[in-house]
Amino acid sequence: MNESNVLHTGTRGSRIIGILALIGLAWMVVFGLLISPPDEVQGDNVRYLYLHVPAAFLTFTAFGVTAVSSILYLWKRTRSLTWDRIAGCSAEIGVVLTAVTLATGMLWGKLSWGVYWRWDALLTSTALLLVMFIGYLALRGLEASPQVRARRCAIVGIIAFLDVPLIHFSVNWWRTLHQPASIGPRKTTFDGPMLLSFFVSLVAFILVYIWLMMHRNRLAMMEQAMDDHGLQMAIAERHAEVSA
Amino acid sequence: MMLASVIQHHVLNIVGGYVLVLGSLALFTWRMLGRARKLASQLPDKDKPWI
Repeated sequence: MNESNVLHTGTRGSRIIGILALIGLAWMVVFGLLISPPDEVQGDNVRYLYLHVPAAFLTFTAFGVTAVSSILYLWKRTRSLTWDRIAGCSAEIGVVLTAVTLATGMLWGKLSWGVYWRWDALLTSTALLLVMFIGYLALRGLEASPQVRARRCAIVGIIAFLDVPLIHFSVNWWRTLHQPASIGPRKTTFDGPMLLSFFVSLVAFILVYIWLMMHRNRLAMMEQAMDDHGLQMAIAERHAEVSA
Repeated sequence: MMLASVIQHHVLNIVGGYVLVLGSLALFTWRMLGRARKLASQLPDKDKPWI
Protein backbone atom coordinates (compact mmCIF):
# COMPACT_ATOMS: atom_id res chain seq x y z
CA MET A 1 0.00 0.00 0.00
CA ASN A 2 1.25 3.48 -0.85
CA GLU A 3 2.61 5.67 1.89
CA SER A 4 1.10 9.15 2.04
CA ASN A 5 2.31 12.47 3.31
CA VAL A 6 -1.21 13.76 3.97
CA LEU A 7 -1.97 12.55 7.50
CA HIS A 8 -4.92 14.74 8.39
CA THR A 9 -8.63 14.96 7.68
CA GLY A 10 -8.76 18.77 7.75
CA THR A 11 -9.64 21.22 5.02
CA ARG A 12 -9.78 25.00 4.96
CA GLY A 13 -13.52 24.89 5.67
CA SER A 14 -13.21 22.49 8.60
CA ARG A 15 -10.41 24.60 10.09
CA ILE A 16 -12.53 27.76 9.95
CA ILE A 17 -15.46 25.93 11.55
CA GLY A 18 -13.14 24.50 14.21
CA ILE A 19 -11.70 27.91 15.10
CA LEU A 20 -15.18 29.47 15.32
CA ALA A 21 -16.34 26.57 17.51
CA LEU A 22 -13.37 27.06 19.85
CA ILE A 23 -14.09 30.79 20.12
CA GLY A 24 -17.74 30.00 20.90
CA LEU A 25 -16.79 27.44 23.54
CA ALA A 26 -14.33 29.91 25.12
CA TRP A 27 -17.14 32.49 25.28
CA MET A 28 -19.39 29.89 26.89
CA VAL A 29 -16.81 29.07 29.59
CA VAL A 30 -15.97 32.70 30.36
CA PHE A 31 -19.57 33.85 30.45
CA GLY A 32 -20.95 30.73 32.08
CA LEU A 33 -18.41 30.60 34.90
CA LEU A 34 -17.38 34.22 35.39
CA ILE A 35 -19.78 36.77 33.95
CA SER A 36 -23.31 35.32 34.05
CA PRO A 37 -25.26 36.67 37.04
CA PRO A 38 -27.02 34.12 39.26
CA ASP A 39 -30.63 33.56 38.26
CA GLU A 40 -33.40 34.85 40.57
CA VAL A 41 -34.90 31.38 40.91
CA GLN A 42 -32.09 28.94 40.17
CA GLY A 43 -29.17 30.92 41.56
CA ASP A 44 -25.78 29.69 40.32
CA ASN A 45 -27.34 26.52 38.97
CA VAL A 46 -28.28 28.54 35.91
CA ARG A 47 -24.65 28.23 34.80
CA TYR A 48 -25.54 24.74 33.62
CA LEU A 49 -28.02 26.25 31.18
CA TYR A 50 -25.23 27.19 28.74
CA LEU A 51 -23.89 23.64 28.83
CA HIS A 52 -26.77 21.25 29.32
CA VAL A 53 -29.43 22.68 27.01
CA PRO A 54 -27.22 23.04 23.88
CA ALA A 55 -25.83 19.52 24.48
CA ALA A 56 -29.39 18.15 24.74
CA PHE A 57 -30.44 20.04 21.59
CA LEU A 58 -27.48 18.63 19.66
CA THR A 59 -28.22 15.13 20.97
CA PHE A 60 -31.64 15.29 19.34
CA THR A 61 -30.13 16.82 16.19
CA ALA A 62 -27.47 14.10 15.90
CA PHE A 63 -30.00 11.29 16.28
CA GLY A 64 -32.35 13.15 13.93
CA VAL A 65 -29.61 13.11 11.28
CA THR A 66 -29.18 9.37 11.93
CA ALA A 67 -32.92 8.78 11.52
CA VAL A 68 -33.21 10.86 8.32
CA SER A 69 -30.11 9.22 6.81
CA SER A 70 -31.52 5.80 7.73
CA ILE A 71 -34.81 6.60 5.98
CA LEU A 72 -32.89 7.79 2.91
CA TYR A 73 -30.95 4.52 2.91
CA LEU A 74 -34.09 2.40 3.15
CA TRP A 75 -35.86 4.38 0.42
CA LYS A 76 -34.93 2.64 -2.85
CA ARG A 77 -34.62 5.84 -4.89
CA THR A 78 -31.95 7.30 -2.59
CA ARG A 79 -30.30 4.07 -1.38
CA SER A 80 -26.58 4.58 -0.97
CA LEU A 81 -24.02 3.43 1.59
CA THR A 82 -23.13 7.12 2.00
CA TRP A 83 -26.36 7.56 3.99
CA ASP A 84 -25.45 4.57 6.14
CA ARG A 85 -22.03 6.07 6.79
CA ILE A 86 -23.51 9.45 7.75
CA ALA A 87 -26.05 7.73 10.03
CA GLY A 88 -23.29 5.83 11.84
CA CYS A 89 -21.06 8.89 12.26
CA SER A 90 -23.88 11.00 13.63
CA ALA A 91 -25.01 8.25 16.02
CA GLU A 92 -21.50 7.98 17.44
CA ILE A 93 -21.33 11.73 18.11
CA GLY A 94 -24.90 11.58 19.44
CA VAL A 95 -23.92 8.94 22.00
CA VAL A 96 -21.12 11.18 23.32
CA LEU A 97 -23.52 14.13 23.51
CA THR A 98 -26.21 12.04 25.25
CA ALA A 99 -23.71 10.89 27.87
CA VAL A 100 -22.65 14.52 28.38
CA THR A 101 -26.29 15.65 28.61
CA LEU A 102 -27.10 12.99 31.18
CA ALA A 103 -23.97 13.74 33.22
CA THR A 104 -24.59 17.50 33.32
CA GLY A 105 -28.26 16.86 34.08
CA MET A 106 -27.27 14.67 37.03
CA LEU A 107 -24.86 17.30 38.36
CA TRP A 108 -27.53 19.98 37.97
CA GLY A 109 -30.04 17.64 39.65
CA LYS A 110 -27.76 17.24 42.65
CA LEU A 111 -27.74 21.02 43.12
CA SER A 112 -31.44 21.55 42.42
CA TRP A 113 -33.14 18.41 43.74
CA GLY A 114 -30.50 17.13 46.16
CA VAL A 115 -30.04 13.84 44.29
CA TYR A 116 -28.13 12.83 41.19
CA TRP A 117 -30.81 10.56 39.80
CA ARG A 118 -34.56 9.97 39.99
CA TRP A 119 -36.48 7.43 37.94
CA ASP A 120 -38.28 10.33 36.39
CA ALA A 121 -39.94 10.05 32.94
CA LEU A 122 -37.52 12.43 31.22
CA LEU A 123 -34.36 11.05 32.82
CA THR A 124 -35.34 7.44 32.30
CA SER A 125 -36.33 7.93 28.65
CA THR A 126 -33.03 9.78 28.03
CA ALA A 127 -31.06 6.92 29.61
CA LEU A 128 -33.04 4.52 27.42
CA LEU A 129 -32.05 6.59 24.36
CA LEU A 130 -28.38 6.24 25.32
CA VAL A 131 -28.68 2.48 25.80
CA MET A 132 -30.50 2.05 22.47
CA PHE A 133 -27.89 3.97 20.51
CA ILE A 134 -25.03 2.14 22.23
CA GLY A 135 -26.80 -0.99 20.99
CA TYR A 136 -27.04 0.60 17.55
CA LEU A 137 -23.26 1.15 17.51
CA ALA A 138 -22.70 -2.44 18.69
CA LEU A 139 -24.88 -3.61 15.79
CA ARG A 140 -22.71 -1.63 13.40
CA GLY A 141 -19.69 -3.58 14.66
CA LEU A 142 -21.18 -7.00 13.88
CA GLU A 143 -19.82 -8.94 10.92
CA ALA A 144 -22.11 -8.70 7.89
CA SER A 145 -22.04 -7.50 4.31
CA PRO A 146 -22.22 -3.67 4.07
CA GLN A 147 -25.75 -3.81 2.61
CA VAL A 148 -27.12 -6.18 5.26
CA ARG A 149 -25.51 -4.19 8.05
CA ALA A 150 -26.81 -0.91 6.63
CA ARG A 151 -30.38 -2.24 6.40
CA ARG A 152 -30.36 -3.65 9.94
CA CYS A 153 -28.86 -0.46 11.36
CA ALA A 154 -31.27 1.79 9.46
CA ILE A 155 -34.26 -0.04 10.95
CA VAL A 156 -32.81 0.05 14.48
CA GLY A 157 -31.78 3.71 14.10
CA ILE A 158 -35.32 4.77 13.13
CA ILE A 159 -36.90 2.77 15.98
CA ALA A 160 -34.42 4.19 18.51
CA PHE A 161 -35.14 7.74 17.31
CA LEU A 162 -38.83 7.33 18.23
CA ASP A 163 -37.70 7.87 21.83
CA VAL A 164 -36.69 11.48 21.05
CA PRO A 165 -40.23 12.96 20.80
CA LEU A 166 -41.11 10.94 23.90
CA ILE A 167 -38.26 12.66 25.78
CA HIS A 168 -39.19 16.09 24.45
CA PHE A 169 -42.87 15.87 25.44
CA SER A 170 -42.38 13.85 28.64
CA VAL A 171 -42.28 17.03 30.74
CA ASN A 172 -45.77 17.89 29.49
CA TRP A 173 -47.29 14.41 29.38
CA TRP A 174 -46.20 13.18 32.83
CA ARG A 175 -45.52 14.71 36.21
CA THR A 176 -41.74 15.00 36.28
CA LEU A 177 -39.21 16.77 38.44
CA HIS A 178 -37.61 18.31 35.39
CA GLN A 179 -38.87 21.77 34.54
CA PRO A 180 -40.52 22.47 31.16
CA ALA A 181 -38.30 23.82 28.36
CA SER A 182 -36.63 27.14 29.28
CA ILE A 183 -36.54 28.25 25.65
CA GLY A 184 -39.20 27.82 23.02
CA PRO A 185 -40.58 29.56 19.98
CA ARG A 186 -43.28 31.29 22.06
CA LYS A 187 -41.54 31.99 25.34
CA THR A 188 -38.18 32.23 27.07
CA THR A 189 -37.59 32.31 30.80
CA PHE A 190 -34.56 34.60 30.57
CA ASP A 191 -33.33 37.50 28.45
CA GLY A 192 -30.55 40.04 27.94
CA PRO A 193 -26.92 38.88 28.07
CA MET A 194 -27.99 35.47 29.41
CA LEU A 195 -30.09 34.87 26.32
CA LEU A 196 -27.29 36.12 24.04
CA SER A 197 -24.76 33.84 25.69
CA PHE A 198 -27.13 30.91 25.51
CA PHE A 199 -27.37 31.38 21.76
CA VAL A 200 -23.59 31.75 21.44
CA SER A 201 -23.23 28.42 23.31
CA LEU A 202 -25.85 26.84 21.08
CA VAL A 203 -24.08 28.01 17.92
CA ALA A 204 -20.73 26.80 19.35
CA PHE A 205 -22.21 23.33 19.97
CA ILE A 206 -23.70 23.27 16.47
CA LEU A 207 -20.28 24.15 15.01
CA VAL A 208 -18.63 21.46 17.16
CA TYR A 209 -21.13 18.93 15.83
CA ILE A 210 -20.53 19.97 12.20
CA TRP A 211 -16.75 19.86 12.71
CA LEU A 212 -16.90 16.43 14.33
CA MET A 213 -19.16 15.15 11.57
CA MET A 214 -16.76 16.33 8.86
CA HIS A 215 -13.79 14.59 10.46
CA ARG A 216 -15.68 11.47 11.55
CA ASN A 217 -17.11 11.07 8.05
CA ARG A 218 -13.63 11.28 6.51
CA LEU A 219 -12.36 8.76 9.05
CA ALA A 220 -15.25 6.44 8.11
CA MET A 221 -14.30 6.82 4.41
CA MET A 222 -10.76 5.70 5.25
CA GLU A 223 -12.05 2.79 7.37
CA GLN A 224 -14.13 1.66 4.38
CA ALA A 225 -11.15 2.05 2.03
CA MET A 226 -9.00 0.05 4.46
CA ASP A 227 -11.58 -2.75 4.50
CA ASP A 228 -11.69 -2.72 0.70
CA HIS A 229 -7.88 -2.87 0.46
CA GLY A 230 -7.83 -5.72 2.98
CA LEU A 231 -10.37 -7.62 0.91
CA GLN A 232 -8.45 -7.01 -2.32
CA MET A 233 -5.21 -8.18 -0.71
CA ALA A 234 -6.92 -11.32 0.65
CA ILE A 235 -8.31 -12.10 -2.83
CA ALA A 236 -4.89 -11.52 -4.42
CA GLU A 237 -3.23 -13.82 -1.86
CA ARG A 238 -5.85 -16.50 -2.52
CA HIS A 239 -5.26 -16.21 -6.28
CA ALA A 240 -1.50 -16.52 -5.71
CA GLU A 241 -2.02 -19.65 -3.59
CA VAL A 242 -4.23 -21.22 -6.24
CA SER A 243 -1.73 -20.37 -9.04
CA ALA A 244 1.16 -21.85 -7.06
CA MET B 1 -18.01 39.63 43.20
CA MET B 2 -19.73 37.24 40.79
CA LEU B 3 -16.62 35.06 40.68
CA ALA B 4 -16.61 34.95 44.48
CA SER B 5 -20.24 33.90 44.39
CA VAL B 6 -19.41 31.04 42.03
CA ILE B 7 -16.52 29.91 44.21
CA GLN B 8 -18.68 29.92 47.34
CA HIS B 9 -21.58 28.02 45.86
CA HIS B 10 -21.21 24.61 44.32
CA VAL B 11 -17.84 25.40 42.74
CA LEU B 12 -16.76 21.80 42.36
CA ASN B 13 -20.06 20.76 40.87
CA ILE B 14 -20.33 23.55 38.32
CA VAL B 15 -16.69 23.76 37.27
CA GLY B 16 -16.59 19.96 37.26
CA GLY B 17 -19.53 19.94 34.85
CA TYR B 18 -17.73 22.26 32.44
CA VAL B 19 -14.52 20.21 32.69
CA LEU B 20 -16.49 17.00 32.15
CA VAL B 21 -18.21 18.26 29.01
CA LEU B 22 -15.18 19.88 27.40
CA GLY B 23 -12.93 16.99 28.49
CA SER B 24 -15.31 14.40 26.99
CA LEU B 25 -15.47 16.25 23.68
CA ALA B 26 -11.67 16.71 23.68
CA LEU B 27 -11.07 13.01 24.41
CA PHE B 28 -13.45 11.92 21.65
CA THR B 29 -11.77 14.35 19.22
CA TRP B 30 -8.26 13.24 20.21
CA ARG B 31 -9.06 9.55 19.73
CA MET B 32 -10.84 10.21 16.42
CA LEU B 33 -8.01 12.31 14.99
CA GLY B 34 -5.42 9.81 16.25
CA ARG B 35 -7.16 6.97 14.42
CA ALA B 36 -7.57 9.15 11.31
CA ARG B 37 -3.87 9.97 11.32
CA LYS B 38 -2.96 6.29 11.64
CA LEU B 39 -5.21 5.24 8.77
CA ALA B 40 -4.13 8.20 6.62
CA SER B 41 -0.52 7.03 6.89
CA GLN B 42 -1.48 3.60 5.53
CA LEU B 43 -3.68 4.69 2.63
CA PRO B 44 -2.81 6.29 -0.71
CA ASP B 45 -4.04 9.82 -1.35
CA LYS B 46 -6.62 8.60 -3.87
CA ASP B 47 -8.60 7.24 -0.90
CA LYS B 48 -8.79 10.72 0.63
CA PRO B 49 -11.30 12.66 -1.48
CA TRP B 50 -11.11 15.77 0.74
CA ILE B 51 -7.50 16.50 -0.35
